[in-house]
Amino acid sequence: MKNIIIIIISLITFSGISQTPYEKGMQKALDLWEAKKPMEAVNLFERISKAEPDEWLPSFYVSYILVVNSFGETDETKLKNQMDKALNYLNDSKVLAKDEIEVMLLDALWYTVWVAQDGAVYGMKYGGKVSEIYQTAITKAPNNPRVILNKAEWDIGGAKFFGKPIDPYCNELKKAIVLFKDYQPTGKFYPMGGLQRAKDLLAENCN
Amino acid sequence: MKVLKNQITIIFLLILLITLMPFVAFSQTIISGTVSENNGTPILGANIYLEGTYDGTSSDENGNFSFETSEGGMQTLIVSFLSFEEFSISKDVSEMKNLQIKLREDVNSLETVVISAGTFEASDNSKVSVLKPLDVVTTASALGDFVGALQTLPGTTTVAEDGRLFVRGGDADETQIFIDGIRVFTPYTPTTNNTPTRGRYSPFLFDGITFSTGGYSSEYGQALSSVLLLNTIDEPVQEKTDISIMSVGLGLGNTQKWEKASLSVNASYINLAPYIALLPDRNDWEKPYEAASGETVFRRKFENGLLKIYAAFDTTNFELTQEDIDLPNGIHYQLNNNNFYSNASYSGSLSNNWKLFGGVSYSYAKTKLTLANDKINDLENAAHLKFKLRKHFSSRFKMSFGAEQFLTDFTEDFTGENIIINLGFNNNISAAFTEADIIFTKKVALKLGVRGEYSNLFKEFTFSPRASFAIKTGKDSQLSIAYGDFYQQPTNTILKYTQDLQAQKTQHYIANYQYVANNRIFRAEIYRKEYKNLVTYDTENPVFSSDFTSNGDGFAQGLDLFWRDNKTFKDMDYWVSYSYLDSEREYQNYPIIATPPFANTHNLSVVAKYWIEDWKSQFGFSYQFGSGRTYTNPNIEGFLQEKTKNYNSVSLNWAYLISPQKILYASINNVFAFKNINGYQYSRIPDANGNFNRRALLPAADQFFFVGFFWTISDDGVENQLDNL
Repeated sequence: MKNIIIIIISLITFSGISQTPYEKGMQKALDLWEAKKPMEAVNLFERISKAEPDEWLPSFYVSYILVVNSFGETDETKLKNQMDKALNYLNDSKVLAKDEIEVMLLDALWYTVWVAQDGAVYGMKYGGKVSEIYQTAITKAPNNPRVILNKAEWDIGGAKFFGKPIDPYCNELKKAIVLFKDYQPTGKFYPMGGLQRAKDLLAENCN
Repeated sequence: MKVLKNQITIIFLLILLITLMPFVAFSQTIISGTVSENNGTPILGANIYLEGTYDGTSSDENGNFSFETSEGGMQTLIVSFLSFEEFSISKDVSEMKNLQIKLREDVNSLETVVISAGTFEASDNSKVSVLKPLDVVTTASALGDFVGALQTLPGTTTVAEDGRLFVRGGDADETQIFIDGIRVFTPYTPTTNNTPTRGRYSPFLFDGITFSTGGYSSEYGQALSSVLLLNTIDEPVQEKTDISIMSVGLGLGNTQKWEKASLSVNASYINLAPYIALLPDRNDWEKPYEAASGETVFRRKFENGLLKIYAAFDTTNFELTQEDIDLPNGIHYQLNNNNFYSNASYSGSLSNNWKLFGGVSYSYAKTKLTLANDKINDLENAAHLKFKLRKHFSSRFKMSFGAEQFLTDFTEDFTGENIIINLGFNNNISAAFTEADIIFTKKVALKLGVRGEYSNLFKEFTFSPRASFAIKTGKDSQLSIAYGDFYQQPTNTILKYTQDLQAQKTQHYIANYQYVANNRIFRAEIYRKEYKNLVTYDTENPVFSSDFTSNGDGFAQGLDLFWRDNKTFKDMDYWVSYSYLDSEREYQNYPIIATPPFANTHNLSVVAKYWIEDWKSQFGFSYQFGSGRTYTNPNIEGFLQEKTKNYNSVSLNWAYLISPQKILYASINNVFAFKNINGYQYSRIPDANGNFNRRALLPAADQFFFVGFFWTISDDGVENQLDNL
C-alpha cells in the first residue's frame, strides 16, 4: 500500500511539479538545437522569450543560434537579415543582463561573424571592438574558461594574420582546458561547452 | 479502520487525479493552417504561436502548421518570419482552424527598392554603397582627402588646380557641405592658385558620407548642383592615442571614453618647407605653406538621444611670388587665414515614433591677403540653425518637417595705394521644408518634398518642389527618376558689390538605372540641368563699378557610368567611373553662350586596390583622365574657342602593416610625370607683331611624394590607423 502511494506521488511529482513550463520549454529547445534543427530551436526560444519577458536566456539563445549559423553563410541578403535579427535579440538580452559574461561573449561573436565574412572591410571596423570586449570580459572573469578560450581563439587569428608567435595563447588554451574540468556554469541552461574546441585548437596550433 | 479508510480516500483521490490528467490533455484544441507569401508560395520555418504562451510550432515545407493548446477563449495568434512583417490575429481558439495566412514582405529588408537617382552613399552598412569610408584613405590619388576620393566618382570634372568638387557642369561654389546635417560655410583650406585645395576636416571623424550629384532632398538648400553630407561617428570604439609622422608634418590624436560620453581630440601641423627645399616646385616661395589645425568631437548619450559637439580650428599662412605674363617680376602674394568652425546637434526619439533633430553651427573665417601692394582683409561670421521633426507612421510611410535659418555677416576692407574701400553685407535666409517617404510595395517607392526660402537680402521668396520615384525592374536592378528646383544666392565675391540680384536657379531632371548583385554595382544615369538667373557683369572681373544683372542662363546634360567590383578577382577591388558632359552657359562677362573651362566633356577614373596577404600590404592604383578644357585665344576670333590637351595622371600608393599598430604608408601622385596644362594666361597687350603672348598655367609640381608612419597606442594592442591614412 505504502509503495503504491510512493509510486503515485512520485508519478505526479515527475510529471508535473519538478519542471516548470519554462524549464521544459528551454530543455526542448536545446534538444532541438542538438538534434540539428536550429531554426526550430530558434522559433521555440523566440516563443519562450515572448512568454517570459523577464528571462534573458531565451533571447540570448535566439541570437546565439543565429550568430553561430551565420558563420560561413554565403547568401549576403540572408546573412544580413539573420544578423539583424540576431542583433535585435542580443540587444534584448543586454537590456536584461548587461553584465552577464555570456552576453559579452556573444556580443564579441556577433562582430566576429562580420570580420570573418569580409576581413578587408570589417576587420578594420570591428577588430578593435572585439578586442575591447574580450579585454573587459577577461578583467571581469579571469578564470572563466569560456572567456579564456574565446579570447585566445580571437588572438590566435590576429597573431596568424600578422605572423606573430602563437605561443602565449597556447598557454591560455591549456589553462582553459584545466579550468573546464571543474567549470560550473552560473545557472541552469547557461552555455557551458568549449572543452573540445579548446583541445582542437591546441592540437591545431600548438606543438 | 479509520486510518485505512482515510488512506483509501487519498488513494482514490490520487487515482482520480491521475485518470483525470489525460482528460485535461484531451481538452486541448488543435490550431492549424498554412503560411504563404502574398503570391501563394508556401513559407517553410515560420514561427506560429499564441501570444504569451509556450504553445506554437514551425511551418513545414508546404507552409502547413498544426499544434495543440490548452488555452481557451480569445487568444492572439502570431506568425513571424525573417524579412516579412509580423502577422497577428485575435479570435477564439476554437475558430483557429485551417487558417490561410499570407505574410506581407517587410519593406525594411534589404531587397526593398531605394531611391538612388543622383545619390552615392559611402558607408559600411548599405549594400548600395559605392564607396566605403576606408576608400577615402586608401584611394591612391586622394591623399587622405575625402573630396579627393569623391573625385573618382562619376559626375565630377577634373579641375586639377582647384581641388574642390565641380559637379555636372556646375562650378565648385554650387556644392554645399554639411556635417551632421548642419552646413559648413568654409569647407576648404586656402591654397595658391596652382595647388589643389583639401577638405579641412579629417576623414576618420566620419563614418557615413552621402554625395548627391542632383535631385536631393528638400531638407537641403542653397546648393545649385550638389550636396555632400558627412556624418560624424556616434561612438568611438576604444580609448587610444595616435601618432603620425609624415614627410610634410606631424599629427597627434587622443580618444577618451566614459560610460555615456566620449571625447576625441586631434592636432596636426603641416609645413611644406623641408619638402620644397628637397624637391623645389614651380612657385617662388618666400614662406612655404604652413598650417596648424585642431579638431575635437564630444559625444554624450542620453536615454533617448545623442548630443554631438564638434569644433575645429585651423590657421594657414604662406607667401610667394606668382608668375604673371605681363609682370616680369611676378606678383607678390601673401596669405594668412584663421578659421574656426563649431557645430552642435542633438538627435533623439520622442514617444509615438516621433524623432527630433536640432542643431546649430557657427563659423568664423578671417583672411588677410596681400596682393602686390593691395591689402585685402575679409571677415566672415556665419551661423546655421536647424530644427527637424520626423514621424514614422509605419514602415511604409514617413514624414518630416523642419525649419532653418542661415545668417551671414561679411565684411571686406580693401586698402590700395590711394584708396580704402569697405564692403560688406548681411545675408539672412529663412527656410522651411517638408518631405514624405512612401513605400507602396517592396518594388515601388516615392519621395515628395517642398522647400520654401525667404531671403532678407533680396526680399525674395522662392519655392522648390522636389520629387523622386523608384521602381524595381528585377531582383537586383531598379530604375529611379528625380525632379527638383534648387536655388542658391550668388557668392560673397558678388554680393559684396551688389545686393540687387535674385537667387540663382537650377532645375534637375535625372533618370538612373542601378544593378547591385554579388559585390558588384553598376550605375548609369542621364540628366539635364537648366540654369536660370545666373549673375552677369560687364567688366573683366567683378568690381564696384560693374553693372550686375541676374539675366545669365545655361544648361548641362550628360551621362554618368559607374562600375565597382570586388568579386571577380581575388583580393582585388576596383571601380571605373566615366562621365560625359555637355554644358554651356552665358554668365559672368561671357559675350556669348560657351562651355566654361571647368566643364570638360570626358572624364574617366579607374581605381584599383590589391591586397597581398603575404606582404601584409595593400597596393593602390588610380588613373584619372580628363579631356581638354576650354580657354580663349585672343589671337583668333571667338570666345573660349580652344581646348587644352587632355589631362592624365597615374597615382600609386602602398600601405604596409608592420604590426597591428604600426603602419608605413607611401604614395606618388602622377608617377609618369605627365605634363598637364590647366589653361593659359594671355598677355593683355599684343607684341610688336600684333600677337598676344601666352604662358601655360602649370601645376605647382607635376608629382607629389608622400611618406608617413602611423602608430596607434591602445590597451588591447590591435587598433590601428589604417582608417586615418
